[in-house]
Amino acid sequence: MAVCKVGELSTVTLPARAAPLRTLASTDHKRVAVGAGAVAFAFFIAGGVLALVMRSQLAADGGVVSQDTYNQLFTMHGSTMVYLFVVPVALAAGLYFVPLQVGAAAVAGPRMALAGLWLLVFGGLAMWAGFLTSGGAAAASWWGFDPLSDAIHSPGSGVELWIFGVVLATAGQMLWAGCVLVTALRCRAPGMTLMRMPVFTWSMVATCLLVVFAFPALIVALALLWAQRHFGGVLDGGLGAVDYQQLFWFYGHPVVYVMFFPFIGMVGEVVATFCGRRFFGHSAFILALLAFAGLSMTVWAHHMFTMGQVTNKYFALTSTALIVPAGIEYLDLLGTIWRGRLRFSAAFLFALGFIVQFLVGGLTGIVLASPPLDYGLNMSYFVVAHFHYTIFAGSAFGLFAGVYYWFPKVTGVLLRERLGKLHFLLMAIGTNLAFFPMFVLGAEGMTRRIADYPSSSGWQSLNELETVGAGVIALSILAFVVNVVVSLRARQAAGDDPWQGQTLEWATSSPPPRHNFHALPPIRSFAPLLDLREDSEDLLAGERAPA
Amino acid sequence: MADSLHAYEHVRGIYFPIAIGVFALVLATLLLLLVRGRLRQTAPGRTADAPRFEIGYALLLACTVAFLIVVTFRSETPIDRTAAHPAVRIEVTAAQWSWVFTYAGGATVSDVSSWQPSVALVPVGQEVEFYGRSRDVIHGFWVPQLHFQRQFLPEYPTRFDLRFDKPGRYGGVCSVFCGDRHAQMHFALEAVSPARFQRWLGEHARRWPSARSAS
Repeated sequence: MAVCKVGELSTVTLPARAAPLRTLASTDHKRVAVGAGAVAFAFFIAGGVLALVMRSQLAADGGVVSQDTYNQLFTMHGSTMVYLFVVPVALAAGLYFVPLQVGAAAVAGPRMALAGLWLLVFGGLAMWAGFLTSGGAAAASWWGFDPLSDAIHSPGSGVELWIFGVVLATAGQMLWAGCVLVTALRCRAPGMTLMRMPVFTWSMVATCLLVVFAFPALIVALALLWAQRHFGGVLDGGLGAVDYQQLFWFYGHPVVYVMFFPFIGMVGEVVATFCGRRFFGHSAFILALLAFAGLSMTVWAHHMFTMGQVTNKYFALTSTALIVPAGIEYLDLLGTIWRGRLRFSAAFLFALGFIVQFLVGGLTGIVLASPPLDYGLNMSYFVVAHFHYTIFAGSAFGLFAGVYYWFPKVTGVLLRERLGKLHFLLMAIGTNLAFFPMFVLGAEGMTRRIADYPSSSGWQSLNELETVGAGVIALSILAFVVNVVVSLRARQAAGDDPWQGQTLEWATSSPPPRHNFHALPPIRSFAPLLDLREDSEDLLAGERAPA
Repeated sequence: MADSLHAYEHVRGIYFPIAIGVFALVLATLLLLLVRGRLRQTAPGRTADAPRFEIGYALLLACTVAFLIVVTFRSETPIDRTAAHPAVRIEVTAAQWSWVFTYAGGATVSDVSSWQPSVALVPVGQEVEFYGRSRDVIHGFWVPQLHFQRQFLPEYPTRFDLRFDKPGRYGGVCSVFCGDRHAQMHFALEAVSPARFQRWLGEHARRWPSARSAS
């Protein structure tokens, strides 16, 4: 189909060492996606360093940084992780693997995909440039709530740069979502019907629908905030503050699922592959994803229960109803492990980490969806613990499951399994040390976004424990970086299909050629390569025991 | 009756055991599957779905949702309700970075934020009406011991009732990030007998406008 043809090759030839430069002018979805993944990972490291400084401050009884610096740190930590790392890396994975999984030769709109990469780079640089201004970076939290973020209460260019940065990065994400969505809907290979798309591709479809419908609300909110800062009269008074939050959370809740669906999709692929069996309940999983996406557009004001300005019961109802699709997804993951023949690779361990730890985040989310409980826990460290269990203990583990699984496809070489298992072990220990005590502190009354707390509160020792956990997480990431460097230097060739994969990306070379496939296998289900293996097993069994 | 404390404890008493039970069930199932899958010698199963089981399971989930929602709705209604004739009315004004408690009759407890705030008194066991607003950005009025918080919006008042069943000190804190001294923005309420409360209020009103702290 015309929308998905391979773009003309660049007429400019650059030397092989100028690979990053070539990425910035590439129309190959794989190259752009790897570039986006690398940029997002750099922001992950940067945001992680901010978190380590914050943790030192909270363990050291204040005194490491000033209150104002601390406010910049948590604002930029949250903004970096959401706008510049988790969402971009999720969409980058879709940009790389959705065309491969549906058997397309290219992504739809390759130049738009490239523009998304530029927008991410410029957006991120604009946001971080705040640190170079005299007033410092934005310090009004990653929500940028009016009126705290207006020109009176947050003067200076930090918030201005933050607004530009977020808008640019978000616009780029919308371009990516459009490319990936159109690729899945319009560029599938013959035989690849919608219901034969793998779970990861379906999770990206749900994700991109959310991006397309919800992300414009953020751009509108930030445009209004900008107008308020410069001209006033847009978001005035108490109701202006409520309006900003309505718009912000109309983006801000769906984005939570943008930071979840792709990773449960990756976990689904990893679990099916390393259990050596077909994904269980594929159709139910897809229906659950779509129901999840639809419902998630209706739950935003559960972030506003304590404002007293929204119909709390309605949002409690829709939020609690998320139990149904989430429960079905969990059943399907467990059902895939059932009667599987398991291989405990690093990727599979990370997938198991996702399943167990995300559950903690999900169940506490149901707790917070009940207003009588939210009145007692909102804005406390209980909430901080909750969303770090979903985004870090959940999604980041899902991401690393995907990285260990797909790294051989992208680079052609295997990551070291033993280093990968060390990475998993350290990250699991560090994550639970860092985030579990936050549930206790929050229930005891520790509020978010404070650089210091009274020594009489008795919170010091748990905070120290969390800081140790953060350090262990940092070590685990170091183990990952070492693994990548070692694996790329002393190369162990992966071959086309090192894991006995089931989906089409494993039916081509590693890395795939410019046009993705030389030939495609027949597509009769959502696991075409498994079909072939099962056919030959049946044939062998038939020969051994003729009826 | 604005009894946030008991509503919270009631809902928590139902939600938390269910959440812990679900977590334990999933973990136990997962471990069982992992052990069996690790020992498996034969070819993996090929069951790709089980529609009847999945539908039944979805219905079970829907029933769980219905049950939780009934618990939540029944507990929330009394928290949100405000009394027609509260015993006391207190206007609370939050600003960067202070709390001001103004009682009918003019008594005022105000405080530039610190970790040792002045104490505002409330009567034990009676319905206390709060009428809260902010003078600048959004602030959060949170009394952790009562498991209650409400955001104060700029120049747009919010009303809620609270009841303090036990005498004693109730610490409070600003829960919504509001700028540089957010962490120091504490307040303190002390629940005393209605008789003592009235005495304090009378003395305090006479000393107005220089009234500062009590007890």
